[in-house]
Amino acid sequence: MSTLPEHVLDEIRELPAKYPQHRSAVMPALDLAQEELGYLTPEAMSEVATALQLDPGYVEGVATFYTLFHLKPIGKHNFYMCTNLSCMLRGSNEIVDHLKGAIGVHEAGEVSKDGLFSYEEVECLGACEFAPMLRLDHQYHYDLTPQIIDSLIEERRNPPPAPLPPKPKPRARKPKSA
Amino acid sequence: MPDLRGSFGEAPDHLLTRWFGTPDLHRLEVYESKTGGYKALRKALLEMPPADITGEIKRSGLRGRGGAGFATGTKWGFINRDAPGPKYVVVNADESEPGTSKDRYIMENSPHLLLEGIMIAAYAVGANQAWMYIRGEYDKPYRMVVEAISEARAKGYLGPKPMGKDYPLDIQLYRGHGAYICGEETALLESLEGKRAQPRSRPPFPAVKGAWGRPTLLNNVETLATVPWILNNGGAEYVKLGTEKSPGTRLMSVSGNVRKPGVYEVELGQTFRHVIMELAGGPPEGRSVKVFWPGGSSAPVLPASMLDTTTDMEALAAARSMGGSGGVIVMDDSHCVVRAAARLLRFYAHESCGKCTPCRVGSDWAVRTYDRILANEGSRVELGILERVADGLQNGRCLCGLGDSAGWVIDSTFRHFREEYEDHALRHTCNVGAVAAHA
Repeated sequence: MSTLPEHVLDEIRELPAKYPQHRSAVMPALDLAQEELGYLTPEAMSEVATALQLDPGYVEGVATFYTLFHLKPIGKHNFYMCTNLSCMLRGSNEIVDHLKGAIGVHEAGEVSKDGLFSYEEVECLGACEFAPMLRLDHQYHYDLTPQIIDSLIEERRNPPPAPLPPKPKPRARKPKSA
Repeated sequence: MPDLRGSFGEAPDHLLTRWFGTPDLHRLEVYESKTGGYKALRKALLEMPPADITGEIKRSGLRGRGGAGFATGTKWGFINRDAPGPKYVVVNADESEPGTSKDRYIMENSPHLLLEGIMIAAYAVGANQAWMYIRGEYDKPYRMVVEAISEARAKGYLGPKPMGKDYPLDIQLYRGHGAYICGEETALLESLEGKRAQPRSRPPFPAVKGAWGRPTLLNNVETLATVPWILNNGGAEYVKLGTEKSPGTRLMSVSGNVRKPGVYEVELGQTFRHVIMELAGGPPEGRSVKVFWPGGSSAPVLPASMLDTTTDMEALAAARSMGGSGGVIVMDDSHCVVRAAARLLRFYAHESCGKCTPCRVGSDWAVRTYDRILANEGSRVELGILERVADGLQNGRCLCGLGDSAGWVIDSTFRHFREEYEDHALRHTCNVGAVAAHA
């Protein structure tokens, strides 16, 4: 019984063909694994290795080098908080302190009790004219204030109800034959 | 309208940003019909022998906008166009230098401008395939470039016969995964090949043995985005702007303690006073500029007394700094230089790839020493350690520029703000009052 579902492994096996050499597929493959599981377990890395015909140690070596691969569980919504110089000069440390209090964690990498949130301090995210800023759920948020942090959290704790699915069209009834 | 904080609209020095802010500029149709986009590609493919394209870039004097400032045309000329087998163009879109956001500005506002530059470069050096290495955190630029590529494919500009010319062209994307070192070109190549991103020793240079062992041209996003303008207007027009050795304009992302942070297109040779005080609006009310990083965090700092330094590479070299990535970080007098330097050293230590000892060990020594100084446990010993570590990181002792950069932060803040270091280490005080003395 593998950790990664067969359809993900199939997708991984198809990756090498996209690159001049099969090794280049390792990071896109780890992406797929991480997307599936939330983080990379040793079993998942070794299954990626098998699927790509690489050594498990090699795959783990790649995964541990890059900060966007997570080797431990993170919250469903992970805040990537820029605290490098441009953001620091505009109050990012205070924003991080506020965030910690708001999601109830003591340090980076800790997951909130409800499993929804975690944060990590990251290096410059390249949006310095909007400092202080962060990345959350594949989106940047700019000109941060404690209020913005609170609303980002609130929107995720109590997501607005999803719009109702469109009503199905009444099926054309077959005329009843008398 | 996309997020736009910086230059746009018509101005004599807006070569790249002239059309930024145009609604839907990211759509191929708008880029082409409104701005004359893809005219340069058509001209390159249908009217110019490849050597002439490279010649035009050489004539323009364009220098790489990623950090090192190497002559672009010369770099293109290093690739042997007639060598058999595949050659590649690799686009460095791994913008990660602290304080630098200009490549994002280009990709989010005008992705086709970049694609056009890439295609011209590929044709000039004899590559059919370009790989764009984009940092993993850039979600929106990634989506926009993906969309632009599919528009270009649908239109046939990427494909077997772009503009009817029998010269197949394609661009593929590769996403980074969070490593500053990938901005270094050989580390980027390692990463593209699916490895830990540790710089290679050179020679061989990428022009001879680059991506997957093949001849490779590596250029920064902004460098390539400048190419269409040069082909449309001629290298001779480009050199009319800027200084003799640093012609043209460049994008400078101004951040930190200024009233109007933004990405500004600046004619080289303008002063930093113009960039910081006029374009970016100067420091907040009641504050004054204390220090600025003229080209990303790796560029040695300059104090406010040197605001009249000009933005060309020669003036910056004379001021013992560099133009670097064009990221201008401004710090006002309410902040402490030692704390800022400590933060940057933490960055370099975190991002050191660990391959070479001076950088791996030196940056860590620096972090621990700064920690002691900022905990008011410093003395002459700590100052001495910082000076020795700074020396050990520089002057070719490391495999790539990351070590030098870490050393320059220490060295340049020491050079201009020795007093602040002594306040912290010897007197356990901070002149901005942020740190209370224990004694």
